[in-house]
Amino acid sequence: MQDFLELAVSATASGCVYGLIALAYLLMIRPTGIINFAVGEWAMVAAFGGYVLLTQHELPYPLGMGIVLAFMLLVGWVTERIAVRPLVEKGAGVLAPILALLGVLVITREIISVSFPPDPLPVPFAVDIQYYKYFVIGITLAVFVAAWLFFEKTVWGRSFEAVALNRRAAALMGINLSRVTAFSFAGGAAVAGLGGLLVAPNISAHYLMGVPLAIQGFTALVIGGVGRVEGALLGGLLLAFAEQFTIRYAPIPGGFAQGVPLLFLMIFLIMRPTGLLKARA
Amino acid sequence: MQASILEVRGLSKRFGGLTAVSELAFEVREGEILGMIGPNGAGKSTTFNLIAGTYPASSGEIVFKEASILGLAPHQIARRGILRTFQHNRPFEGMPVIDNVLVGAHRLFTKNSHAEEAVRRSRAEELIEFVGLGGLAAADVGTLSFGQGRLLEIARALAGEPRLILFDEPAAGLAPAELDRLAEIIRGIAARGIAVLLIEHDMHFLLPLAHRVVVLNFGAKIADGLPDEIRRDPAVMDAYLGSHAAHS
Amino acid sequence: MRWLGAFLVLSGAAFLLGDYHNDVYRKMLLWVTLALGYNFLFGICGQVSFSHFAFYGIGAYSVVILLFQLHVPLPLAILLGVAVCIVVALAVAIPATRLEGFYLALATLALAQLFVVLLNEGGDITGGTGGIANYRLPAMLGLQIRGPWYTGVIVFLLLLTLWVLVKLDRSWFGRACRAVRDNPEAAAAMGIDVARTRVAAFTLTSALAGVAGMVYAFVDNTVNPPIFGLENAFLLLFMVIVGGSGRHAGAVIGAVLLFLLPFWLSPLVGHHHVLVFGVLMLAAILLQPKGLIGLWDQCRHRFSR
Repeated sequence: MQDFLELAVSATASGCVYGLIALAYLLMIRPTGIINFAVGEWAMVAAFGGYVLLTQHELPYPLGMGIVLAFMLLVGWVTERIAVRPLVEKGAGVLAPILALLGVLVITREIISVSFPPDPLPVPFAVDIQYYKYFVIGITLAVFVAAWLFFEKTVWGRSFEAVALNRRAAALMGINLSRVTAFSFAGGAAVAGLGGLLVAPNISAHYLMGVPLAIQGFTALVIGGVGRVEGALLGGLLLAFAEQFTIRYAPIPGGFAQGVPLLFLMIFLIMRPTGLLKARA
Repeated sequence: MQASILEVRGLSKRFGGLTAVSELAFEVREGEILGMIGPNGAGKSTTFNLIAGTYPASSGEIVFKEASILGLAPHQIARRGILRTFQHNRPFEGMPVIDNVLVGAHRLFTKNSHAEEAVRRSRAEELIEFVGLGGLAAADVGTLSFGQGRLLEIARALAGEPRLILFDEPAAGLAPAELDRLAEIIRGIAARGIAVLLIEHDMHFLLPLAHRVVVLNFGAKIADGLPDEIRRDPAVMDAYLGSHAAHS
Repeated sequence: MRWLGAFLVLSGAAFLLGDYHNDVYRKMLLWVTLALGYNFLFGICGQVSFSHFAFYGIGAYSVVILLFQLHVPLPLAILLGVAVCIVVALAVAIPATRLEGFYLALATLALAQLFVVLLNEGGDITGGTGGIANYRLPAMLGLQIRGPWYTGVIVFLLLLTLWVLVKLDRSWFGRACRAVRDNPEAAAAMGIDVARTRVAAFTLTSALAGVAGMVYAFVDNTVNPPIFGLENAFLLLFMVIVGGSGRHAGAVIGAVLLFLLPFWLSPLVGHHHVLVFGVLMLAAILLQPKGLIGLWDQCRHRFSR
């Protein structure tokens, strides 16, 4: 029972990280329809930011975290400016920015791999390791509550959706499209970065950590459905529980656990393509 | 009287709590131009999409050539011989005009032979000529004007040799001179023995063109008859004037 | 006749090259073969997939395992290898292409990741992280094909792939693929089964990649996990985009250029040529969406006037 509880807490903590990555996707998909696979790399960048500020320069955790997240806002904003907006303005459809962002993904990873040694680099825990999982869960819940309030309760959040549903109508309603797009990318980068920073102490900062996170986060999104913010968290939790319990109780090598997202993805695509929660009408 | 090719009976469509189309019944006869009009939000587009298979119907029956097509996917409906145009032109942008038209002939290809391809290609060229895009067969679709794009939509649908062709507001966005040309083409299509179902907001375009007219309002049929009868029908004028008054 | 000429020229070249250059040449030909198949899937059918290189690996591993672990005769091993590719491709594509959007991209990304994991964890069957080495192509009809003669096999594979793809591209199937790429809804309205077209294109090109993988297995006479990683899947995408997606010539140009680029760049940037690839690909999408082949067309147009 003790064992089971411990496992449940650690699965919840991983699920929170997947949920944050899923939320980062969601922030950008809602207003633009663009699936940005570079969110995994953004998480990776933030993890390296954590290494530089917290490990090398030994800044206090809240200060280091604040700087990293501010930097991520900037990264998201710049990315939107360079790789997304020119294409949106050309009316190039949704595929071109997705591909451009794949280019950004590779460029980001290569810059990190050029700038840092290839070994996994340590990032410190925010609080005592014993309580760290609860710290992750708490921060994630706070972010999700904020995101939920933003989308449900503010005019700004609702305008995100208006843009997604009908860009022309949104333009008529006086919603500033390019500003919404810019904010969604900045916000997406910050949320993905938070996910990366939170997971970094457990898995260390490494330049190849991005793609698995990108896959897990998107799987969580598919499970939860893009219709609702809380779906992202639910999807992340479900995926993490499935992964951890498979590793713990199924007689297969740990590496195979990486197959769990794929399996889940396929099952959900076949059985429930709209995700677990129904979108609001 | 000609036999009917498409029969719609008791067709309803609800979106959540909203009933977009209710208990609709009408038929399209061989070789005729049936016009369907109604003010904005009357359920014309929904009806169109139910026949084309874009939405599943909530209840009712749609029979084409004596077989039910209810619940079929859009591509299955197209294969049975119902082809459509789109209100907002949807060309295949990476292909020249001729290939766009050839895609319309997709359902007719039976084997992979040069002879078949050649026949279809010369047929597609005829159709490009027929709709008035002669000389543009090799052009990039991006270079076409909006009106030419609409003509391409028509040539593409005709390439599939449909028994019934569905027009979704073909007059929308066209200049007056283009409208005359469009009416002429639609008459030419009916003259080839192809049944036409024409959904249109613009009465002035539709009434001189259609053989018979169905009028919708609030998702239900309010009138059905010859264009002259429709012109004199007070209920129709009410629906149109009433809605215009309400909108302006 | 033109095909025969191309075969003679391309395979004849192998006899003029030394061992090292012959090796580079063969790998370039394989990359061109893969890029051609990927161009059909991505450039012509409009599907973003990351598993093309994994299928190359599945083909290579299947044939080696079947031949040397299970001792299946070569022709049967080839057929079974193709069958494995087809089954895996169908299992991924049927659920993932039912929906609009980029589910295939994600599913194939996960598949490509999983494939490498399976290779590493596969124990004796896959040889684990070290892979399988020290085997040789079995003799056929008493003949042992080796050296430049094996380059001829690769040239044959390349031309066969190109021939199949050109034929398909010019048929109603190729047109249906382009229609699905440009506007799925309009394609469906013309009677095209969008999902089936996508599944067919994905399965076919994956099988072609698998066959290329089988040929590759006897180029280095070793197969190991790092060769089939996700990096190369990205590289394929970049090759097609930089060269000009949707055009066979574009795929060839992109593959040759991006394959050779590291050889010229390595004195300048060492092993970080991938960074250059990323920048090139981003530049192509932003500035020249039709790729190098589109640039070439523009130049030709200007000079012919």
